[in-house]
Amino acid sequence: MMSEPKEIISVEKRLTLTKFNIHKEPHIVVDTSKCEKCEEKPCIYACPAGLYQLDENGKLVFIYEGCLECGTCRLICPYGAVSWNYPPGGYGVWYKFG
Amino acid sequence: MSEKFDVIIIGGGPAGLSAAYFLAKKGIEALVLERGPEPGSKNVFGGRIYSYVFDKYFPGWRKEAPIERWVRRERLAISCEDSTVTLEFRPHRGLDNKYDSFTAFLSKFVAWMAEKVEEEGAMVLTSSKVDEIIFKDGYASGVKAGGEELNADYIVIAEGVNTLLSEKHGIRERPKLETTALGVKEVIKVKKEIINERFGIDDWEGVAEFILGYPLLGVAGGGFLYTMKEYVTLGAVVRLSEIRKRKVTMKDLAELLRTHPAVKSLVKDGTLVEYSAHLTREGGLLDVMDKPYGNGYVVVGDAAGFLLNTGFTIRGVDMAVESGRIAAEAIAKAHEEGRRDEEALSYYKELLERSIIMENLKEFSKLPSFLENERLYNTYPKIICETLSAIYTTNERAERAYPALRSSMKRHGVGLLTLISDILKARGAI
Repeated sequence: MMSEPKEIISVEKRLTLTKFNIHKEPHIVVDTSKCEKCEEKPCIYACPAGLYQLDENGKLVFIYEGCLECGTCRLICPYGAVSWNYPPGGYGVWYKFG
Repeated sequence: MSEKFDVIIIGGGPAGLSAAYFLAKKGIEALVLERGPEPGSKNVFGGRIYSYVFDKYFPGWRKEAPIERWVRRERLAISCEDSTVTLEFRPHRGLDNKYDSFTAFLSKFVAWMAEKVEEEGAMVLTSSKVDEIIFKDGYASGVKAGGEELNADYIVIAEGVNTLLSEKHGIRERPKLETTALGVKEVIKVKKEIINERFGIDDWEGVAEFILGYPLLGVAGGGFLYTMKEYVTLGAVVRLSEIRKRKVTMKDLAELLRTHPAVKSLVKDGTLVEYSAHLTREGGLLDVMDKPYGNGYVVVGDAAGFLLNTGFTIRGVDMAVESGRIAAEAIAKAHEEGRRDEEALSYYKELLERSIIMENLKEFSKLPSFLENERLYNTYPKIICETLSAIYTTNERAERAYPALRSSMKRHGVGLLTLISDILKARGAI
């Protein structure tokens, strides 16, 4: 459910403005085999960073770089496919304003 | 390696730092473990803090804390597709007023709180994420953080809204979709003089605006806008159950708000400098832990569910600071008695029950169910916009307000009985 905004600053562009200290290991792991039976896939529209997407074969892909660490996907996933954790100490999103 | 502290505090946000500050003042050794690279680097909120709690306990804070602007315009905007209705409350207050609130950036404010904590002699260790609480003989006795074990007589859990540790150790259940909301926020740099001019305010005066009906008309949630010294912050908050039900694309919400006709001109030529997201509890009393204590531990702030929504304003930081202060009181008493058992720490709950936190939350206990009424987010905003639109749209024939209201109500299927029943429901809630 979304009407089209008029002056688009894409979420990718917006995420380049927020500071990150990305760890080499992903802090969130998605068991995508569980996503196959999920028709709804609420993670796709709920993630404020748009990190859950469908690839050309319609399979769910998740990238952890750009994660704002809000915790929405952990709660909204209907199949418990998201193993959610914070990044190790000192890593991840680095809010300057908050 | 094993070290022993009096108290270890998990999380260096407003609640955890407050607990450390008051413990240190009592001469109790406190160590704050913060997972972020610096204090405040993981904190996000809307943009406003209530000052009474700092006036009470942080002498001289008004001169040194990173206060952006004192709120002197309270706005409630009801936004529809083709018009916006704004109600503005403008208190004629001077600068020093004790019934006050100010705008701030939470990351900067928390960094200042961490300085105060260190001045009092407590330690704040950053880049330190707690992976596990160590329980010995049923007592919380320490933590595992980045492969290290640290021991303490008492643990203060101040982990925030994502209660990973509390859930892991069976201390509380995971947040529910119905009472948890996602907020997205943008910080937009706009010149100070331009902000003053656009909002009609002085250098030190600020605007706090709550927006109903937009960015998405009909979705249970709201938008907010705050003016900082030289930034405007914009955001939107939607319940997770509503995101799922209505398939709301959250990554575009801030975008929609920024480009909305009522907001666009306020942030024109501004530069976006930060995009953030954070969860918040909206269940009020429903989200408060029955037992925010146990053998060797207490739970404070968002982790315990202390967020007050009055329907018009939302208070988190003052509730967090107050709960940290009360936790410090309870721990100090138990420490003096040489006890760590839950019966001794139940004093925390006893103090909470008598505090402004629980008094407020109880007063607003009926609000969360009142806010579930879909008419609040769709029908009523439309009726208000349409009625005012009829009054202020100039035609040859002048329209009277009351018939305009009734015909709009009729169009949206709201009879007088529905309206009266909704007003009666509001009676106990707001």
